[in-house]
Amino acid sequence: MSEAVIQKEQAAEEKKSFKHFLSKFGALIGLIILVVVLTFMSDKFLTVNNVMNIARQSSINALLAIGMLLPILTAGIDLSVGSILAISIMTMGIVSVNMGMSPILGIIVCLAVGAGFGLLNGLLLTKLRLPHPFISTLGTMNIARGIALIITAAAPIAGFPFMIQYLGREFVGPIPVSFLLVIAVYIVFHIFLTRTQTGRHIYAIGGNKEAAHLSGINVDRVLIIVYTISGLMAGLAGLVMVGRVNSAFPLAGLSYELDAIAAVIIGGASFFGGVGTVWGTLIGAMIIAVLRNGLNLLNVSADFQMAVIGIVIIAAVYVDVLRQRNSKKN
Amino acid sequence: MKKKFKMFGAAAVVTSLAFVAGCSGGGDDASGSGDGGGNESVSVVLKTLSSPYWKYVEAGAKAAGEELGVDVTVVGPSAESQVIEQVNMLEDQVSQSPGAIVVSPSQPDTVVPVLEQAAQTDLPILLIDSDADFEGKTTFIGTENFTAGQEGGKLLASMLEKGDKVALIAGALGNPATDDRIKGAKEALEAAGMVIVAEQPGDSDKTKAMSVMENILENNGDVKGVFAANDDMALGVLRAVEAKGLDTKVIGTDGTQEAVESIISGGLAGTIAQSPYNMGYQGVENALKAIKGETVEERIDSGIDIISAENAQEQLDFLKSISE
Repeated sequence: MSEAVIQKEQAAEEKKSFKHFLSKFGALIGLIILVVVLTFMSDKFLTVNNVMNIARQSSINALLAIGMLLPILTAGIDLSVGSILAISIMTMGIVSVNMGMSPILGIIVCLAVGAGFGLLNGLLLTKLRLPHPFISTLGTMNIARGIALIITAAAPIAGFPFMIQYLGREFVGPIPVSFLLVIAVYIVFHIFLTRTQTGRHIYAIGGNKEAAHLSGINVDRVLIIVYTISGLMAGLAGLVMVGRVNSAFPLAGLSYELDAIAAVIIGGASFFGGVGTVWGTLIGAMIIAVLRNGLNLLNVSADFQMAVIGIVIIAAVYVDVLRQRNSKKN
Repeated sequence: MKKKFKMFGAAAVVTSLAFVAGCSGGGDDASGSGDGGGNESVSVVLKTLSSPYWKYVEAGAKAAGEELGVDVTVVGPSAESQVIEQVNMLEDQVSQSPGAIVVSPSQPDTVVPVLEQAAQTDLPILLIDSDADFEGKTTFIGTENFTAGQEGGKLLASMLEKGDKVALIAGALGNPATDDRIKGAKEALEAAGMVIVAEQPGDSDKTKAMSVMENILENNGDVKGVFAANDDMALGVLRAVEAKGLDTKVIGTDGTQEAVESIISGGLAGTIAQSPYNMGYQGVENALKAIKGETVEERIDSGIDIISAENAQEQLDFLKSISE
C-alpha cells in the first residue's frame, strides 16, 4: 500500500470519527450552548435553586420520554402516554384517597393501570393487527382520557398520603428525589437496551422488521413488551406528578405525548426506527426543560415558547434528515 | 458537510433565542414605561394569556403597575389546560424573588405545594379569580362564579315566561369556575320555574358549543333560552340559533368585547361580566399594600356587572379604553 492511500484512509477515518462524534453529541452540544447563552442572559439561571427547579420540572417529561423511546426505536409511536398518566393517577386517587386504602396499594394500582393500558396498546397492535401504532394508541388515548373523566365525574382529587407524594415532592440534600429517580430509571433503560437480548431485538425490529422476523425474533412479543413498558412509565410519571402538585386531575398530562416525542427526537432518535439512545433522550428532555425554564426567567410569553420549541424540533430533525441523506450517498 | 449542518442547528437555536429575547426585551420596556425609580416588583401568574378574559386581567394588572409605579410581570401558559406548566411558571417567578406574587390557579390544589414553599420566605401571596385552599395567602380577590351564574339565570328568566324550556352550556368537564356558574344559573332558573331540557359541556369553545347547540335544537326546537358559562360558547350557541331562524335568548358570561358588540347589534341577550380588569388591577394594588406592610382585607369582592342592551354601549366604551 502506498503512503498516499494510507494517508487518505487515515483522513477518511478521522473524518468519520468526527462525524460520529457530532452525530453522537450534537444534542449535548446544543444543550451546552443553550446553558451558556441563558447564563449570560439571566443572572438567576445558573443558581443552585434554579438548576434544581429545572431538574424537577424535567422529570415528568423525562420519564414519559424514556418510555416513548422504545416505541420510536421500533419505528412506532405511543400517543396515549398523557392519557394513561391521567387514568393511572385518577385510579390511584380513588383507591388511596377516596377509598382510604393503603398508599402502597395505591402506588401498585397506579403502575399496574399504566402497564395495563400499555399492554392493551401492544395487544391491539399485534393481535388485532391494526395497521400502525398511531391508530391503536390514538384509540387508547381517547379511551383512557374518557374513562379518567367518567370515573371521577371530572373532579380533581387532593390530599394524597405522604408515601405517594414522596417521589415528586421530597429532596435528598438539595437534589429532588424525582430527578434521582430519573437517573436510576435511565441507567436501568441503558442496561436493558444495550445488554439484554430483548433490548437488542428492539433495535433490530426498528432497523428492519421483516429481517428481524426472519432471523427468528418474536416481533409481536417484543412489541407487546415495548408498549407495556411505555405505559408503565406513564404511570410512574403520574406518580411523580401527583407528588409535585399534591393532587390528581383528569385532564392531567394533556398533550404530554408531544413533549415526550419531541424529547426523543431532539435527542437524536430516528422516526424511522432503529436509531436512538437513552442518554440522547435525557438530553432531549433537558433541552426542552432548560428552554422552558430559561424563557420563563426571561419572561418570554408562552406563545413564543411554543414557537421556539417548534423551531428546535424542526432543526433537530432536519439534521437527522441530512444525516440520513448523507449516509445514503456514501 | 456534517459540521455545517450541526452549526446550522446550533445557529437556529441561538438566533431563535436571541429573537425571542429581543421581543421580550421590547415588551419589558413597554410595560415598564412610566415607572418611577426604586420600584417594587409584583409577579402575576394567570391561567393563560391566550383568551380575551385573561387579557383584561393582564390589562388591569399592568394599568395598576403604571399608575402605582410597580414593576409588573404577567405570565401564563398557552392554555388553561397546561396546569403543570403553570406550576412551573409560578416556581420560576418565585425563584426571581419578586416583592409579591399574584396567582390565579387553573387547578387550585396544584399550586399549594409551591405556594407553601414560597410563603416560608414571607412573600405576600394573593389569589385572584379562583381561590385555593392555602392558609398563608394574603387575600382572595374575585367574584363567586356561583353568584355570576345566578345573576345570569335571573337575567334569562326575566326575559322568559314561567314553564319555558331552557338549556345550559357548561365549560370543560371538571373546570370548577364554569361548573359553579352552571350550578348558580340552574338554581336561579329552576327557582323561576323554567324547565331545563339540556345541560351539556361546550368546553369553553365557540365551535364546540355551536355543534352542541345544533344537537340540542334537533331534539328541542322550542328552547326559549340558553345560558352559557362563557361568552365564546354563548356566541357559538347564537350562531346555531340564528342558522335555524329562531328567537332564542342567549346569555353568556365574562363580558368580552365580542359579546358586548353582539348585544349592541341585537345578537346575544346579555352577559354577566366578572370585571376581570378589576381583578388584575386590585391584585397588584393590594400586593403593593402587602409589600408595604399595610393591612389587606382577607376577602375582596371585585364585583359583577350585568350587561344587557341598555348598558352595552357604555361597557363597550370601557373595554375599548382599557385594551389600548
